[in-house]
Amino acid sequence: ENREAMLNSKSNRLTEALEEANRLFDGVCRAREAALDAQFLVIASNIGKEKANELHSEMSAFDSTAFAEDLLTFMGINRTEVEETDDSEDVPGAFLPSDAWRTMGEEASKYFRRAPTFHYMMGSFKSEPPAPKQRIERQKKAGRGKAEQAMPAQLKKMEESHQEATEKEVERILRILQTHFENDPNTPISFFDFVMDPNSFARTVENVFHVSFLIRDGLAKIKLDEDELPIIEPIKPSEGGEEDSRAGVRNQVVISLDQREWK
Amino acid sequence: QVSELVQFLLVKDQKKIPIKRADMLKNIIREYRDAYSEIVKRADRTLQAVFGLQLVEIDTKRHIYILINNLPRPEGQHLCRDKEKEKMGLLLVILSFIFMKGNSVKDSALWEFLHLLRVYPGKQHSVFGDVRKLVTEEFVRQKYLETTAIPLTDPPEFKYQWGPRAEKETSKKDVLNFVAKMQSKDPTFWASQYSEAEANK
Repeated sequence: ENREAMLNSKSNRLTEALEEANRLFDGVCRAREAALDAQFLVIASNIGKEKANELHSEMSAFDSTAFAEDLLTFMGINRTEVEETDDSEDVPGAFLPSDAWRTMGEEASKYFRRAPTFHYMMGSFKSEPPAPKQRIERQKKAGRGKAEQAMPAQLKKMEESHQEATEKEVERILRILQTHFENDPNTPISFFDFVMDPNSFARTVENVFHVSFLIRDGLAKIKLDEDELPIIEPIKPSEGGEEDSRAGVRNQVVISLDQREWK
Repeated sequence: QVSELVQFLLVKDQKKIPIKRADMLKNIIREYRDAYSEIVKRADRTLQAVFGLQLVEIDTKRHIYILINNLPRPEGQHLCRDKEKEKMGLLLVILSFIFMKGNSVKDSALWEFLHLLRVYPGKQHSVFGDVRKLVTEEFVRQKYLETTAIPLTDPPEFKYQWGPRAEKETSKKDVLNFVAKMQSKDPTFWASQYSEAEANK
């Protein structure tokens, strides 16, 4: 306590306190009291050091208040205008312009030998400072790391496009089916005719694959005709909804088709 | 290796946080450890010749480096961004205060002074935002300022001094000249600070 009072160079409080401590020490006969005295001595010496420090700077009379005033002047403060601000703690009646610190900064840059910050001219990928650093670090993971990173990226991409392609194919096939039925609503299409590609077995298999999606999603159905051969027809949207919810029947048909048969 | 190190240093310097030798070794130099000092020397030469920058070790024990500008300060408008400039303005004011007050100030004294400039630790500043954070964290991390706890104070108080980056990027003489300019006085007006600044060259 009373630290500030003791620090005041004009006061002898510290000396007085030390003298009193000396006096009190004569009456000390218990270890605890001696410990307290030692503690006091430490604090006193710290304060003494601070006082000495303050003494040094006072010698050259630096007036920080005046300095602050001069800084504000430099920053362009307008002391004549009274501005309504919401700064309750503020000294009212003086207006500091918004570019005050920019002005100060301009002046300040003359006093620093600061390295300008480095930025890529063309920008980095996402124009954020961390990105260039990562780029460098990745380079250093010689070859191997990079190859591994490249591969998962590639695979992922393929997978994605694959999925899209499938969906597109399915849609395409649905449209073909629907168009066909529009033209000729009463003739169902033979399943085999629909999926067969006379030129490519692989393509045929793909077609079957895509059609299966249509079936799964309830957009088309396969029935057996009089000859026990499967036929396919699109489901009209209205129809489909009711049927599905009521019956919920799903049949599995396993059709085997190998290359020989296909031929 | 050298050009990689140069790039590494330039990028690391963006945030003005000092660069540790350990990081340089781990990221760039790796297997060429033995040639470390040679690589660093060449990198410094490149930095100086190509960019006018200098690699300076500010902590010889823990081997920490910063980049500073080697070129003479040009007059006239600089192209740097406003935010950086404004922070430098605040920093210069703080450094001046610290120097003129004998190279070390208590945090309470510093904030009392900044109060006069409408900068408050508890209040969001229109330019600097969280000023307390800027001063006690950012400037300290960048080594512009150094803060130490004052022993046996409760609640704990801190004192501020110039950090090693400040020592390298500016000088007591420059700062005294700044103060003199602001107060329209001759630097010799403050005798002890003036002699200290001269001795420090």
